[in-house]
Amino acid sequence: MTTSQAAPAEQRTLTDVAFDPITRIVGNLGIYTKIDFNTREVVECKSTSSVFRGYSVFMKGKDPRDAHFITSRICGICGDNHATCSVYAQNMAYGVKTPPVAEWIINLGEAAEYMFDHTIFQDNMVFVDYCERMVKETNPGVWERAERTPAPRGDQHGCRTIGDIMRSYNPFEGATYKEALVMSRLTREMICLMEGRHVHPSTLYPGGVGTVATPQLFTDYLVRLTRCLDFVKRAVAMNDDVFDFFYDALPGYEEVGRRRTMLGCWGAFQDPEIVDYSYKNMNEWGNRMFVTPGIVVDNQLVTTDLVDINLGMRILLGSSYYEDWTGEETFVDMDPLGNPVDKRHPWNQTTLPAPQKRDLDGGNYSWVMSPRWFDKRTNDFLALDTGGGPIARLWVTALAGKVNTPYVRSTGHSVQIDLPKTPSSPERRLEWTPPPFPNTIERNRARMYFVAYAAAMALHFVDQALKEVRSGVTKTFQDFKVPKEGIGVGFHEAVRGVLSHHLVIRDGKIANYHPYPPTPWNASPRDMYGTPGPYEDAVQGCPIFEENGPENFKGIDIMRTVRSFDPCLPCGVHMYLGGGRTLTQSHSPTFGALAG
Amino acid sequence: MGITVGKPDVDPDKAAHVAGVRRGNHRGVIKHQPGHRRDDRSTARRSTGINASHRNPVDPDMPNLSPA
Repeated sequence: MTTSQAAPAEQRTLTDVAFDPITRIVGNLGIYTKIDFNTREVVECKSTSSVFRGYSVFMKGKDPRDAHFITSRICGICGDNHATCSVYAQNMAYGVKTPPVAEWIINLGEAAEYMFDHTIFQDNMVFVDYCERMVKETNPGVWERAERTPAPRGDQHGCRTIGDIMRSYNPFEGATYKEALVMSRLTREMICLMEGRHVHPSTLYPGGVGTVATPQLFTDYLVRLTRCLDFVKRAVAMNDDVFDFFYDALPGYEEVGRRRTMLGCWGAFQDPEIVDYSYKNMNEWGNRMFVTPGIVVDNQLVTTDLVDINLGMRILLGSSYYEDWTGEETFVDMDPLGNPVDKRHPWNQTTLPAPQKRDLDGGNYSWVMSPRWFDKRTNDFLALDTGGGPIARLWVTALAGKVNTPYVRSTGHSVQIDLPKTPSSPERRLEWTPPPFPNTIERNRARMYFVAYAAAMALHFVDQALKEVRSGVTKTFQDFKVPKEGIGVGFHEAVRGVLSHHLVIRDGKIANYHPYPPTPWNASPRDMYGTPGPYEDAVQGCPIFEENGPENFKGIDIMRTVRSFDPCLPCGVHMYLGGGRTLTQSHSPTFGALAG
Repeated sequence: MGITVGKPDVDPDKAAHVAGVRRGNHRGVIKHQPGHRRDDRSTARRSTGINASHRNPVDPDMPNLSPA
């Protein structure tokens, strides 16, 4: 427990406040808190999930070549991340290397996906919590001040005051909200050009892509990318203005959602010059990825080695509705380098679901397991989080100092992003520097910087792909043979954080398959050692800045914290207060009832 | 296992492969793909079967960029 308590919990007046469901992970996330309204602090938090998916159960026995098409359906917004990750895992198992043009095409598709998903989440979901209507309801004092505060970067985004920016975030009517929707159309078109379809790509395969590499393909992409860059430059400036303002207007707001720095990033964008998908060379090609994989603990980079990352993964139980698999089959006892593989590693996991009643008082309360990373320096099982993805990616890349491209550079302490001149804006250099610690605001701030990062990287990928095509190299697919026995692992970044697919093939069929997307890491419940998951950890001890009392409490600071991890569409939050008194507040996410 | 499920009436890998159907990923599949050359380049034959050679570049040193 990380809660700092002024008095023992039993002497405090605690109110149960539950937010269930918080949707956008198919409506299954519930946040159960105990709040002390006297000291304005969240004392305890539990994160629960009431949906069981079972991919690891029904993938068994299937043809491994179907894996990316099936696992793509895990998510309705980042399915292509799953398809790509599955393709990486299959490439390793089949021993096939993708031709360079195909690798650039996948990178371009994924860059567009990051731009699409982060923009639609940030501007159409997150900023609902920071828009005029919401702030007026939860913190009227802050809104008054926002109206009077000039926007420091007004020359870049065109809004005169912070209030003007917040007004542009109003759902359905605000200018930024509407423009973000237009951007999401453009970026989806970019994905479709490269991967055939969005969200479930039709042209990604192990060994390459079915996309035909022509000069027009890449120029069509570039035209759309250039239009997006105008928006990205403005959006980063608006983000910085609003978040800086919150720090000024609400002193102490940096404590909201604060958590010890324990970030994981599994890397994205392969470099075709070096990647051969072999496990033995995984450290070398992993370190050449255009988003560096790694783990940051207490602001220090612990590792950038994908083999270390892989071997340290542990799937713990403790508060989840599953039976333990210690008595089940061990599929992989040693990795291809001869390192022992733990029984609690995804390669050896057997999913044994055991449905039961939810018990929030010391029992099991979630379908999510507790993925942890074993830190061999301290023998701790770290509850890594992804911070919604961007903060971890930027932090690891900044500290590792391995990325050096014409548009994006890692300096060892920051990430520099150069965006060229575009139709309605001059060239601009952005620099992201790690904050002193991760919190709600910084997780959100990093998101738009990563959109700029992905856009700048896409410019580089287009250059490289066109270079190949102009020299006449148009091969996009390498044939391969499915082995009778094999293992593979894919490491990638889903939009909201770490993504791994672990695959075991026997007799030409899938014997074991375990995808680990970011939400199991972030939304995990307490593990068998009692360590809370990241949502729980970040919300526990969170100070309450909302001006409303218990009667019309909206829990905006808690919601901002949970949403900063990018869980899923916050389109309906139902809430009740404890003590048998049920308040039915239907706040629709879109403010439909209030908009009249 | 805690979940009770019905008896499966189809093999989970039923549709995996039908004997006699060529698998796209087979080694040496390039011989079935006209217009694709072994040096990772391609010709206009990749795009069309109608007078493909007329659509190749006039200068053989130019990159051969077939339309789609």
